[in-house]
Amino acid sequence: MTEITRRQFLTVSAASLAGSSLALLGFSPTTALAEVREFKLARATETRNTCPYCAVACGVIMYSWGDRAQNATSSIFHIEGDPDHPVNRGTLCPKGAGLIDFIHSPDRLHYPQYRAPGSDRWGRISWDDALGRLAKLMKADRDANFVTRTPDGLTVNRWLTTGMLAASASSSEVGYLTHKVIRSLGILSFDNQARV
Amino acid sequence: MERVLDPARIEAFAERAIARIRLPDRRQAFSRRAARLRQLSASERAGEGGAIGDYLRLMAVLADAQQSALGSFTAARPNAEALRLASTHGMPPAHAAGLTREPSWRGILGELCSSVLESGELPAAVRETCERLRGASAAPLEAQADALLGGRVVELDPAAAPFLMGALQVYWLGLATQFTPKEIKPLEVHGVCPVCGTLPVASVVRVDKGSCGNRYLHCALCATEWHMVRITCSCCQETKDLTYHSIEGGSPAVRAESCGSCRGYRKILYQEKDPGVEPVADDLASLALDVLMGMEGYHRLSGNPLLWLELAAH
Repeated sequence: MTEITRRQFLTVSAASLAGSSLALLGFSPTTALAEVREFKLARATETRNTCPYCAVACGVIMYSWGDRAQNATSSIFHIEGDPDHPVNRGTLCPKGAGLIDFIHSPDRLHYPQYRAPGSDRWGRISWDDALGRLAKLMKADRDANFVTRTPDGLTVNRWLTTGMLAASASSSEVGYLTHKVIRSLGILSFDNQARV
Repeated sequence: MERVLDPARIEAFAERAIARIRLPDRRQAFSRRAARLRQLSASERAGEGGAIGDYLRLMAVLADAQQSALGSFTAARPNAEALRLASTHGMPPAHAAGLTREPSWRGILGELCSSVLESGELPAAVRETCERLRGASAAPLEAQADALLGGRVVELDPAAAPFLMGALQVYWLGLATQFTPKEIKPLEVHGVCPVCGTLPVASVVRVDKGSCGNRYLHCALCATEWHMVRITCSCCQETKDLTYHSIEGGSPAVRAESCGSCRGYRKILYQEKDPGVEPVADDLASLALDVLMGMEGYHRLSGNPLLWLELAAH
């Protein structure tokens, strides 16, 4: 309908209803227009994602109230299988079907925690502290245990004392980057949850 | 390692495939619409149509008349050469603006007008419009039909348009049901009907046989439905900034899928929330949602075939 889209926008209003089929055929839009003043618009969003649990990587749709623009208190109220996803075609296993409780679980981790050796309690630490500590420990371990050559003189450049298990809900690009980072450190013990 | 699937397994996969095209059911397409319009006209729920109940009941009379006019009517299929040409160039086989209509659609229009006139008490304007259409000669009717199908809204008479559209819907539904779903190829352009090239009136998330949560766009003219991936703007195909608006306390089955990129919206109906949803009827009845969306600064991506607006130039 070229002429509408190019020249004017189609909006339903008191003005456009005044000359509409409804009004010209002898009906009144007054009640409908008055009623609208009492109504409030609710906003919801639907978001695609991948179930984090296993190798199948089912597509899910997450329903939440609020839109992203005014998103201070957006809350997910429902999750179901993505009917357009080629892997699961809208279905989910019992674990995936319970994802909403996983998201709203009171026991869910919201920030990094640290339990010092010998201590009986967890304490909250910042992301910077957590990542810094991980990097320091990894470097120390790598410096101590990196093998450049085998006893018979073969060059191997490997680091066997640390391993990595990557997440299953990663895209191909994330998988590529993970692989590059881990292999460039020389780590051989490397697997992915998506294979489990 | 190479593994060859045996034919039975391939067939099993094919059955699981999403139905791309759902052709209308000519036995009840209009009668279901009529029943839904009557149901919504009596609704007292917020924004569900009670406030324009009289108009919905008139459109229900029209839809019933459409069902009986459809009866055993069939429009002639385009010939093999025309179908081949359409297929080669990725065009819809029964293109609304390109196909040569048979004069029979004017006979249908006459029947519809007579049925409406015989239906009882009517506002004088309805009576006058129907009588005028019934007595009109071929040339102005054909000109109005061309304007309707070609989207030249400025040339239209909004009072007569729902009846003219009613007759054209019967004609095109009679045409669409002469194809099999396999003959209809999805078009490269997702936003228009793959049978007749018309814009959809709304979309509907189906939960019946063959479709579990898939979304279909519903043609405003021939009632054919075609699959479109959910959470995608049905106009610009944007997937990032979509919001679903509904009226608080209103039907959970009717939402406006709005796009932050093109600032347009089209309603989306959820059969899971209300098994009776019918795209043309529910879109028309939820006029209040349109008014609210207009106030929010969104525009409708296409009109309702039973309600033509006066277009104010911007």
